[in-house]
Amino acid sequence: MKTSLSKKHDFDAVFDSQKVYRLVLEALSHPTKVVSIQEHANKLQGSNPAYLALAMTLLDNEVSFNTCENRQLSDEISSLTHATRTVVEEADFIFVSEAGDWVAVIEHAQCGSLANPHSSATVIVQNKQNSGAPLNQLTFRGPGIDARATVLVTQTVKEILELRDAQCYEYPQGIDLIFVSDEGALFAIPRLVSFDGASQADDSFSFPPFLQALRSLFEEPSKLKEVE
Amino acid sequence: MSKNYNYAFLDEGSKREIRRATLKAVAIPGYQVPFGSRELPIGRGWGTGGIQLTLSLIGPGDVLKVIDQGSDESVNAVNIKKFVGLCTDIETTTETPEATLIQSRHRIPEIPLKNGQILIFQVPLPEPLRIVEAREEVTKKMHAEKDYAPLWLQLYESLIRYKKVTLASEYPCLVEGRYMMNPSPIPRFDNPKLHKAECLYLFGAGREKKIYAVPPYTDVVSLAFDDVPFEIESFGGKHCRLCGSTDTYLDEVFDQQSGKRFHQCSDTSYCRKLSSQKAQNRE
Ligand SMILES: [Zn+2]
Repeated sequence: MKTSLSKKHDFDAVFDSQKVYRLVLEALSHPTKVVSIQEHANKLQGSNPAYLALAMTLLDNEVSFNTCENRQLSDEISSLTHATRTVVEEADFIFVSEAGDWVAVIEHAQCGSLANPHSSATVIVQNKQNSGAPLNQLTFRGPGIDARATVLVTQTVKEILELRDAQCYEYPQGIDLIFVSDEGALFAIPRLVSFDGASQADDSFSFPPFLQALRSLFEEPSKLKEVE
Repeated sequence: MSKNYNYAFLDEGSKREIRRATLKAVAIPGYQVPFGSRELPIGRGWGTGGIQLTLSLIGPGDVLKVIDQGSDESVNAVNIKKFVGLCTDIETTTETPEATLIQSRHRIPEIPLKNGQILIFQVPLPEPLRIVEAREEVTKKMHAEKDYAPLWLQLYESLIRYKKVTLASEYPCLVEGRYMMNPSPIPRFDNPKLHKAECLYLFGAGREKKIYAVPPYTDVVSLAFDDVPFEIESFGGKHCRLCGSTDTYLDEVFDQQSGKRFHQCSDTSYCRKLSSQKAQNRE
């Protein structure tokens, strides 16, 4: 990596990558568990250091990625990793930013085939840390979770998971989701993990469905935290 | 640490490929994810798949334990530890609870593994359906269609013929109700330890270039019939000659001088610990 961008950062391609990888592995093997990649993300400069830390760890010229319409992020990832830019439908890794269209991403991300389920997208979503906005209490089940895990998630996370389920993937097909905040708090929901009990922690007012997507754009930062 | 090596020997591109495959393997428990296996400066039969997994995982702060057939002292285990030590400077241990990474061939330690620990298996033949179908493209299709009838039939035939399932090791199990998986050549005694374990199990097959995984708290059910339940090896009241254990997996040892047969724990670290505890209690 001989770009001017890569010279500016202190992220160690060997040791920081190794640590970030182990944290992501821990998150994927313990769905809903929150790990922090902040220490390593802080060593990178750019529009979204947490995304860049994940990109540095997982991407190279062997894989492809998409950042929706986030051109700056796309340029940064491309220059740091030499991964191939491609359309959502073919991307191995998709980075959804704040303003990114997660609806289109979830609907079009590749889910692999029954024979090759690993040829599927890993979708990385920016989890906005809000305060004030109502949270949803969801109960998750699946491999990596001891019986069940009940956690509070933002409305966006809930809607993304609902849209994921609406794709009706035939397992082992599916997409694996990684949510990460600007502060580097990361948790994963791999394809086999299911959820239910979707109820708003504060349901004093509920938006009609057609406004839900619009509403997510106005959500204030809220913090995902474990309640059990 | 030798300056002639990359940290953890592999180049970063190789590590990334193995890491990506491992993450997919965790997301799809029991499914064999293909990866581009690297040539390593070690002999065949050493389990290059397991070593590559270990090298892709390991970093400062890790404590590595390596066992071969339960033993920390076997030539293979010692050489692998030396090799990894040479290119990482990490600590090694023989104590199961101290290890963050355990690389193993043919056994799962007696002391239950804890959350946060990773057990890495060296796998010679990853495909559980190979005993009924030689062609890779066909077994791949069988997995895609969850067509495991031929394997069930094979088991059933061996039951009819021999009144028992004749597989001593590599006893197939169904992961999360979906994938038939070869648990590697561990004895049947160890199969139940895969079910809803606290630790993460990773399997690496170097020659066949496959990685698969069993995350914590995952259903792993050894194949059985309603009227013929799965059974682990029974040692029929035999005990370890060194520590006296009756609830561990025992190896039969032949003493050439006396001509006698003995049994002793295959997990040498566990056996030594129990023996020294007993000696202390006697003092
Ligand atoms: Zn013993």
